[in-house]
Amino acid sequence: MSDDYAKAIPVPGPESLPFWEGAKNHQLMIQKCSDCEHHWFPPSTVCTGCGSRNIEWVASSGKGTVFSFVVFHRLYHKGWDGAIPYAVAVIELEEGARMLSNVIGVPVDEVKCDMPVEVIFEDATSDLSLPKFKPV
Amino acid sequence: MIEPSTHLRDKYALVGAGHSRLGKVPGVSAQGLLEEAMLNALDDAGLTTQDVDGLICRGPDEIYTFHQVMGERLGIDASFSTTLTNGGASQVMGVALAAMAIDAGMASCVLVGYGRDNWSRVHANKENHMRGSGRPQQMYGMEFGPEFGYYGAIAAHGFGAQRHMHDYGTTREQFGAISVAFRNHALNNPDAVMKKPLTMGDYLGGRMIVEPFSLFDCSLQTDAAGAVVVTSAERAKDLRQKPVLIKGFGTGNNISGWFNGNNMTHTGAIQSGKTAYAMAGVGPEDIDYAQIYDCFTYMVLVQLEDYGFCKKGEGGEFVASGALALDGAMPTNTSGGQLSEAHVEGMLQVVEGVRQLQGIYGPERQVPKAEIGLVSGHGGNTVCESTLILGAA
Repeated sequence: MSDDYAKAIPVPGPESLPFWEGAKNHQLMIQKCSDCEHHWFPPSTVCTGCGSRNIEWVASSGKGTVFSFVVFHRLYHKGWDGAIPYAVAVIELEEGARMLSNVIGVPVDEVKCDMPVEVIFEDATSDLSLPKFKPV
Repeated sequence: MIEPSTHLRDKYALVGAGHSRLGKVPGVSAQGLLEEAMLNALDDAGLTTQDVDGLICRGPDEIYTFHQVMGERLGIDASFSTTLTNGGASQVMGVALAAMAIDAGMASCVLVGYGRDNWSRVHANKENHMRGSGRPQQMYGMEFGPEFGYYGAIAAHGFGAQRHMHDYGTTREQFGAISVAFRNHALNNPDAVMKKPLTMGDYLGGRMIVEPFSLFDCSLQTDAAGAVVVTSAERAKDLRQKPVLIKGFGTGNNISGWFNGNNMTHTGAIQSGKTAYAMAGVGPEDIDYAQIYDCFTYMVLVQLEDYGFCKKGEGGEFVASGALALDGAMPTNTSGGQLSEAHVEGMLQVVEGVRQLQGIYGPERQVPKAEIGLVSGHGGNTVCESTLILGAA
C-alpha cells in the first residue's frame, strides 16, 4: 500500500459509490434485479434485463471466467512503466455480469479466453482497493 | 421489427465527392481541412457554397455545435444543419440523414463532411504521443477503465479480435491478409499516405501494440477531411458528374455494450446491413465492391461476415483467399482504406464509394463493371454501425 501510487485513480460517479465502498472492504459489489434476478455491471438506476426500477446491490462470489482479453505492450500511462506487458480482461462473473479488470498472477502468454478466475483485491492506496482476477 | 421505406430507393443521389490533402498537413486546422474537402466536393458537382441549404458535419469532438463553426466559416445559412456524434458511424449516417432531410422537405442540397487533424495533434507534444491520441485527458472514462491500464480504441477492438480468434480459430495471418490487401490498393492511389509495399513478413514482424494487434493492424493517424454533396436524383441529372444513386441505407447500434452478449463477434452491421439491403432491394450477392470501416483489421473481417459476404466465423478464410483484391470475390477498400490511405473515420470510404460509381479511375483502381457498392461506417468505440448501398444511375 502506497500513497505515491502512480496509476490512474478512479473518480466514482454517484451511482457507483457502493461498488468502490465494497471494494475497500474486499467485496465485489454488483447490481441485481429484485424482480427478474438479472445481474449487471457497470452501475445503472434500472435493470438492464427487464427495465425494472426494483434493484439492489449484492456481493458477487467473485468467481468467473475470462470472456476476452488484450495484452498491452505499449505504455499509454506513466503509472504502468515497468509493468508491461500486462493483461486487461473482460471478466464474466458467474452471476452473469461482465466487468473490466486485470488478470494477474500468471504470465500474460498463459491468459486464455474462458479461463476460470477469481477476484483478488489489490490495496492500491489507503483509500482505494481494486478488484483484480487470478486464475483458479 | 422495422420496415425500411423503400420509396427512398434511388430517389436521392451523391453528386460530388472530394477530400483534402491527406497525411501530414501542418498549419491547417480540422476546420480548414474540412473546407478544403467541401470545396473540392462542390467543384466535383459543379456547385458552390451558395447552392447549399443543408450542412451535416462532424469535427473534433470537443468543439460544441461544430456545424455552426463551419457554417460561419463557409458563409452558409442552412435550413437543415447539425453535427453528428455517433463515432465512425456518423459519416455514413450523415449521408442517410441528408436523404431523409431532403425527402422531408427540410433541404434540397446537403453538404456532408468530416475533417480531423489527428497527425498534427498527436505529434504536437510528447504527452499526446504517448497516449496515441490527441484527445484531451478528460475525455477518457474516469472509472472502470484507466485504473486497470485500459486505454484506447485499440483495446476495445482487440477484445473482439481475441474472442473471434477463440471462437472461430481466426489467426493473425488472416488479419495480416487485410493489411496487405489494402496496402496493395494504396499503391495504386497517388493520394494515399502509405507508399511502400507491405508483405506478410513485414506484417508479422510489426511491433506488438495491444495484443492481438500489432502496428499494421492499426489505422493511420492523419490530417485529412472528406465531403460529399447530396441532392435529388432528378436535380442530379443536370449536374457535372454522373450521379451516384442512394439505393438504401441502414443503421444498427449495439449500444447495450460491446461487453454485452455476443456483440464483440456479431456487430451492429447485422441489423444495419439487413435494413440497407431491404431498402435497396438487393442482397450481398448483388454487391460489386465494399468500402468497409477499417479502424483495425479485425473490424473488416467481422463486418464482411455480418454483411453476409461470407458465413459467420469464415471471415478469416475469406480475407486470406484474396477476396479483397480488385479481381477478388469482394474488392474492398480500393483506395487503401484507413489502414493505408488516410483515416477520416469513414468519410473517405464514402468518397471512394462514390468515385467507383462515377467510373473515374483507370483499370489499376477501377472495380470492373461496378454497379452496386456497399459503404460501412462503424464507431462509438465499437458498437454503432451505418450502411449505405450505392448504385450507378
